[in-house]
Amino acid sequence: MATFDMRDERTGAEAVAAVQTQAFDVVVIGGGPAGMAAALAAHKARARVAIVEREQHLGGILRQCIHPGFGLSHFKQELTGPEYAQRFIDQVHATDIALLLNSMVIGIDSGEPTGATAVHTVTLMSPAGMLQLTGRAVVLAMGCRERTRSEIKIPGSRPAGVFTAGLAQRYINIENLKPGSRAVILGSGDIGLIMARRCTLEGISVEGVYELMPYANGLRRNVKNCLDDFGIPLHLSTTVTRVIGHDRVEAVEVSQVDERLAPIPGTERVVPCDTLLLSVGLIPENELSVAAGVELDPRTRGAVVDQSLQTGVPGIFACGNVLHVHDLADNVTTESERAGAAAAARALGGGAETNAVADTSCELTVSPAGIAGYALPGRITAVALTKLNFRVRRPVDTARVRILANGEEVFAGKVRAFKPSVMESFPLPAKVIQQALDLGVSEIILSVDPVEEA
Amino acid sequence: MTETFDIAIVGAGITGCAIARQLARYDLSICVVEAANDVALGASKANGGLVHAGYDPAPGTVKAQVNARGCELYGTWAQELGFLFCRTGSMVLGFNDEDRAHLEKLRQNGLANGVPELSIIGPDRIHELEPRASADATCALWCPSTGFVDPFEVAIAALENAVANGVTFMRSAPVEAIEVAGSGDDARFTLETPAGNVRCRYLINAAGNGAADISHMAGAEEFQMVWRQGNIVVLDKEPRTLMPLYPVPTPVSKGVIVTGTVHGNTVITATAAVREPGDTQTYASDVNALLAGARKLVPNLDTRRVVRAFAGGRPVIQGTNDFFIGQSAVVPGLFQAAGIQSPGVASAPAIAERMELVMRESGVKLHERTDWNPIRHAPDDFDRAPLARKEELIESDPAWGQIVCRCETVPEAEIVAAIRRQPDAVSVEGVKRRCRAGMGRCQSGFCQSRVVAILARELDCDPSEVLLEDAGSWLVEGPLKGVR
Repeated sequence: MATFDMRDERTGAEAVAAVQTQAFDVVVIGGGPAGMAAALAAHKARARVAIVEREQHLGGILRQCIHPGFGLSHFKQELTGPEYAQRFIDQVHATDIALLLNSMVIGIDSGEPTGATAVHTVTLMSPAGMLQLTGRAVVLAMGCRERTRSEIKIPGSRPAGVFTAGLAQRYINIENLKPGSRAVILGSGDIGLIMARRCTLEGISVEGVYELMPYANGLRRNVKNCLDDFGIPLHLSTTVTRVIGHDRVEAVEVSQVDERLAPIPGTERVVPCDTLLLSVGLIPENELSVAAGVELDPRTRGAVVDQSLQTGVPGIFACGNVLHVHDLADNVTTESERAGAAAAARALGGGAETNAVADTSCELTVSPAGIAGYALPGRITAVALTKLNFRVRRPVDTARVRILANGEEVFAGKVRAFKPSVMESFPLPAKVIQQALDLGVSEIILSVDPVEEA
Repeated sequence: MTETFDIAIVGAGITGCAIARQLARYDLSICVVEAANDVALGASKANGGLVHAGYDPAPGTVKAQVNARGCELYGTWAQELGFLFCRTGSMVLGFNDEDRAHLEKLRQNGLANGVPELSIIGPDRIHELEPRASADATCALWCPSTGFVDPFEVAIAALENAVANGVTFMRSAPVEAIEVAGSGDDARFTLETPAGNVRCRYLINAAGNGAADISHMAGAEEFQMVWRQGNIVVLDKEPRTLMPLYPVPTPVSKGVIVTGTVHGNTVITATAAVREPGDTQTYASDVNALLAGARKLVPNLDTRRVVRAFAGGRPVIQGTNDFFIGQSAVVPGLFQAAGIQSPGVASAPAIAERMELVMRESGVKLHERTDWNPIRHAPDDFDRAPLARKEELIESDPAWGQIVCRCETVPEAEIVAAIRRQPDAVSVEGVKRRCRAGMGRCQSGFCQSRVVAILARELDCDPSEVLLEDAGSWLVEGPLKGVR
């Protein structure tokens, strides 16, 4: 009896001669804010573009984000999620971008890596059947999913009434259904804060928002607008240590945690409620990427990309929340426009022209240090002004960004405050990259280091 | 309302369902009476799905007799009932000389119990068989007959086949009292349940953790159940499914085992602690012990990728570690299949076979039916279907191309099928156990509201009446505003 490898029979590797094929330059997977911005940018660069979207509508998760706060940087105007999405939907509809809605991608086949000539085949299915799209470039824009109760290992029973905040948001904003009467919210991420306000407005009493960390995880403006203005208490350094109730949630037990985030025995308190909402983090949805051979960064759980947002698989790009979890949709848009433009350049111009000043001798990895949780892009392959993104792991009032090469400081930013809720971004000058290359290093370090106040 | 049957089986766990399937070939009217609203909601649910080979039980015990035989029967059962069964083989990993001596004892045990092809192997062979096994393992008991199943699927498949052959399934029918008439009575037992009364000539007690209560209600053997609780963790899918890896067992349990599943996930099973009866809570200490135990066997296991943690009680009869299978010595006509703790899943087909034998020897007339059909056709599993079949399905009904659960690639038509088959799914979890919608990494975050809508449509009820699991487990209160 030989070892039986389950995967052998389930890969979609069979011959698919019968499946219809359509050719494009750029195939964008995902029709949320990232996918639409990437598609529009690629279209602007004169590429033939297709968007594949699982849902019947474009817009992604923005469709259920009916609160304001979108568009402030991109449109200089405060919009709701659906309004923000609609601006892009209208733009997409005004083009000849092919829309494959209600379609789920089941695989990306990049064939043998043959450099500039590689053509990717995206297999998808919909109620109309199977279809294959080919493209010289693919943009991954599948977004993220919410971390679940299981991933953060909340002990206790498993009754109905434990929802991720996004699921509760869908019930309330899309389905017009009331998920409960009395809610506890775990996690002060932006979705948790927004849902605290939303529940309150819909007559669901919010007993409190509990946060494991000693600081709020969402944007400051959301803490103010969603909790403070409604008198909803925020309990820091406190977490849910037990779910109580056999059939439906009856209560949760909360406990304070120590500086190592371990629950402190003796601080348990039972909070009666019928609903527990979880806003405990987002995880890029990269199952498709991994199956396509894309390498992930264990810190972001998104693809390792270069400065043009190209993954390790030539011709496959990634942007938006599938690459790293963003704070604002506006930032997703900006990033995705870059990815779309780079994908179009690759598809139309061949391999080496993804960047105007591409330099084959430039190959640097970028690693985080200090309180930087990650650094993106993870690879730099061109000596050019490069946008670096990172998030800090804890809030500090005074710190600075430093770029180190071989232990030597080649760049230092201004001293200022940093918060984990903010996705930081700063331009790394070309001359700093050149300086690192001149030092003969293969890695530069992005370090965020707290400094003593003067 | 009272219905009369030749046989009533109390409990639609894997044991009761397997027995129902085994007896359905005879000219008997059979009813499976289940307290919960679905199949396999007790001990069968809180299970790692391993089909242990049978080298653990002490030779001469009932367990020893049914475990190896059950493991052997799984091949046929899987074929006939159309459920997934992977016979991958397994290894018990040893890390030192003391372990090696223990492995040798296990091997001797296995030989005595009739377990085939056991051997002790060294590091090279270990890593050839499972490259991810700990490099510190110096020796292992290699057991080619071990496998794994999805325990829900086995129970559901067995009962579907039984029902297709005329067996009645009565759900939400907890037995509250049992009346026993004289032994000559054709309908000797009357079971009182809120769903109606059931009269029967023969009664089979396969009530899992409720077996002591059933026995007591019938005036038969008095025994106590011990709630030996176990926590289990499911990890996300791996590119390559892991072979079951066991540590050297302790006196009370097989220890923390790491195994692949038929769907490509990894399961870490199980802790063992005596807790309050009915306690299905997970505990931080247990979950941590599972993850730590798993890393000893598979050091590069990514234990961050927890999809689900759950817990349940193994039905252990106090004072014995063995199964109790046989006719009651106190109340003839009552047949006990009690104390079916581990390895209950592995033994289920053999427990059913043994029950048949016990009944035959007790004088129960078993006449084969001419129209018995041993075959159950599995529902179409879209995710596993070859591309050509996928296309065919979508062509037959566009709802096959409408993916509801993205993590497990479950289309709407597959969910509808789960709700329409018999016995049908009546809850969100019932749907999940039949077709895996909501079983994946997002744990129904994306699809729950859609499954609720499909259930409400198919069951012709309001979303507020849709249950997550059993009575009381409502998901939404009702509409927020306006008229729906």
